[in-house]
Amino acid sequence: MADLVRRSGAAIARRLQSTDRGPLSEYLAFTLANDTYAVPIGIVREILKPPPLAEVPRAPREVLGVASVRGMLITVIDLRLRLRMSAAEPTRKSRILLVEGAEEELIGLLVDEVRQVYRLAEREIEPAADILGGQLADHVLGVGRPDGELVLLIDLRAVIDQLGSI
Amino acid sequence: MEGSGDKAREEFFSEAQEIIELLSRDLLALEGRMASGVIDPELVNNVFRSVHTLKGLSGLFGAHRMGALSHELESLLDALRLGKVDLSASVLDVLFRGIDLYGRILAVEKGVRTDPLADLDDYLVELARVGTKAPPKAETTLADYEIDPGVLAVLTEYEEHRLRSSLQQGLRLYRLRVVLKLMTIDEELESLKSRAKPLGEIITYLPTGQGADADSIELDILIVSSAAIDLLRSELGGPTAELTELPRRAAASPASAKANEPSGALSLVLDSIPPEPGAITPAPAPPPKPEVYAADAISLRSLAQTVRVDIRKLDRLMNIVGELAIVRNALSRLTERLREVAGSRELRVELHRLHRGFDRNLADMQSGILEVRMVPLGQLFDKLGRVVRQLSREAGKEVGLVITGGETEVDKLIVEELSDPLMHMMRNAIDHGIEPREARIERGKPQVGTIALNAFQKGSHVVIEIEDDGAGIDEKKLLQRAIERGVIDGQHASELGRREILNLVFVPGLSTRDEASELSGRGVGMDVVKTNIARLGGVIDIHSELAIGTRVTITLPITLAIISALIVQVTGRTFAIPVSSVLEAIRLEPSAAQRLEGREVMTLRGSTLPLCRLEELFGFVPRGAQQSGRQFVVVVGVGTRRLGFVVDELVGQQDVVIKPLGRSLRSVRGFAGATELGDQRVALVLDAPALLEEITGATDSSRAGAMMYG
Repeated sequence: MADLVRRSGAAIARRLQSTDRGPLSEYLAFTLANDTYAVPIGIVREILKPPPLAEVPRAPREVLGVASVRGMLITVIDLRLRLRMSAAEPTRKSRILLVEGAEEELIGLLVDEVRQVYRLAEREIEPAADILGGQLADHVLGVGRPDGELVLLIDLRAVIDQLGSI
Repeated sequence: MEGSGDKAREEFFSEAQEIIELLSRDLLALEGRMASGVIDPELVNNVFRSVHTLKGLSGLFGAHRMGALSHELESLLDALRLGKVDLSASVLDVLFRGIDLYGRILAVEKGVRTDPLADLDDYLVELARVGTKAPPKAETTLADYEIDPGVLAVLTEYEEHRLRSSLQQGLRLYRLRVVLKLMTIDEELESLKSRAKPLGEIITYLPTGQGADADSIELDILIVSSAAIDLLRSELGGPTAELTELPRRAAASPASAKANEPSGALSLVLDSIPPEPGAITPAPAPPPKPEVYAADAISLRSLAQTVRVDIRKLDRLMNIVGELAIVRNALSRLTERLREVAGSRELRVELHRLHRGFDRNLADMQSGILEVRMVPLGQLFDKLGRVVRQLSREAGKEVGLVITGGETEVDKLIVEELSDPLMHMMRNAIDHGIEPREARIERGKPQVGTIALNAFQKGSHVVIEIEDDGAGIDEKKLLQRAIERGVIDGQHASELGRREILNLVFVPGLSTRDEASELSGRGVGMDVVKTNIARLGGVIDIHSELAIGTRVTITLPITLAIISALIVQVTGRTFAIPVSSVLEAIRLEPSAAQRLEGREVMTLRGSTLPLCRLEELFGFVPRGAQQSGRQFVVVVGVGTRRLGFVVDELVGQQDVVIKPLGRSLRSVRGFAGATELGDQRVALVLDAPALLEEITGATDSSRAGAMMYG
């Protein structure tokens, strides 16, 4: 018995050592135009399938419309257009990330596909300029490489706060 | 502040805020009465009690600074109400500064400001000084009066003071003996108090210890009044109420005047009462008096009849009502569909009956909740009173504020949003409107300027008027400045009507004041006011006469919540148009539309109605196979202007809950919000007045409209 405790104790210690990357933060990763992006999970209130939309005439291009989610009105924005990528037809995999904007507005960001939650330590995030070089939009905070995949971390707060002031 | 839970802190803030507002109102009222030479002791007492309550509240929540301030203020107020200190203008000033300090302390505690509040200590010192600067007053003895020493013994210092000073002023002392039923004692006492107030002052309430029965209580109420006994009897007397006067004893001999203990010389005027134990006689045991003043106990209880509610809870309730409305609509559609199903008649009838019951109850609940959200505008108006006082002092002008219609009720959210615009307009009226004293005298106007705030209900709207008897708006100067700033083309200027010129006030950055005023900064900010009012679904209008005055009129819908709307379809998309804007809806014969000066119009009962094809305005490409040629025109109107929206389908009319569009959409014009129609479908709600202005404004003779809003 004592032997068992000793052995599993050692295993745990080993595991702890190898995964001691420092405090980890969770990021939700999603796809936009074949690239993978991620945002801190805390900022996302909910993930939804796109609900029926009502178009808003004369609204900025990236506004797809408004929708109702459990009685609450949300503004749906095409994140591709917002980040100045090309538009695309939604697919079965398209999802809405629900976040809270200024003045308690609920904003739904349309993304191509929601992937998974990654855990990244702070020191595992590299400055974007080093990797990608050249000019980058302000909203890119850094780059992570969980499991070898390239993930761009973006500052969703900045993206949202600028809505309505175009 | 010590760490109490967040919720407790919130409650402390809101309760303290309420008390401070009450304080402010009472002080303003006190000041107002003082101006006519009357010092209302009840108001002084109210202020004292409010500060006392704040002191207790502060102690409870560990707000030390507020507690210290309250403690000093309480001492001063106690001295005031006991007549030890005279209420003068400078004392009143000190009290007002105390309220400002309260406000600042609260703001600092909330973290809104970071004032070091250095002057708090200086103020406290000054406060203490004022409180003790009391000249010694000549005391008169109450023993001259035929009041039982037993009674005097149970009077508090305050009541004794009130009694003494009233008698000194030559008022008479009466005793009203009433029998009141315990069940209804609150209302009966309130009624008595309100009947007595115009006639005199109630000093104290004393239970006689003889109840008529187990359900009633007998009270002796001591009243001082200048009125004759007959008048009092007719007002206050009754089958269960008996009024007698307690006269002053005639020329009391020095010996008995000095005597303070019961002696034979004391003629018991109160001898109509059989001397029973517990009755008001010089018995060793005075009748048991409630620990709290009877008056206080009653009024504290009525305070508890109101409930403070977080408005977000009300919003949630309104949302739920909205959801229920959708269910009700779905229910009615279901009933309709059942018609197709054979043999379902009985079920259908039952369902229909249930639907009707549901509908009725829902309507009641809806109006009930809406009523809860309504608050009287008076709350806001009183706050403005303080602002006016402060601003007029700063500007060195004497301004009187007249408030009417404060009881008019409006949705709480609207009241909140109105606060800033109205304050802005007060600033304008005081800064630009009311002239300096010399100018007013020259013009033959009264030295004291007047600002009138009035509110009343008009149908489903509330109208608020702000009027001043000041300089009025100089249209020539305004027009000139607009031309200088490039807002108006010099040529078109001559085409502008008076109304359009006055509306230039709403153009950002325009101000006819040559120097930037330290109160309002550059420009008058009326553009912001107009935007705020528009956001609430209201309109704002200005009338002005040079040298006579200006009147600003704000018209608002009473509530933002549920309204009735016409549901229409335009190229397959659904929209809602509030019924309040809709004049009528008619079929559009294809041949009826004609072109006139480049716009589409039609003739409706002899007049020309401009048309607007929504699909064109909104930039829709016609969806799917369409155009059976049958279209409809929804005629909307604001004031005297008319416009016909051309739509494809009239779906029906239903109650909708308008949810405002988010901040990210604030650049989008023409929509009041969006609503859910049922099964998650959403429709945008048109803002008919805004669209009307947008479309017809450009064709008005006032080209200024186009330039301002284009």
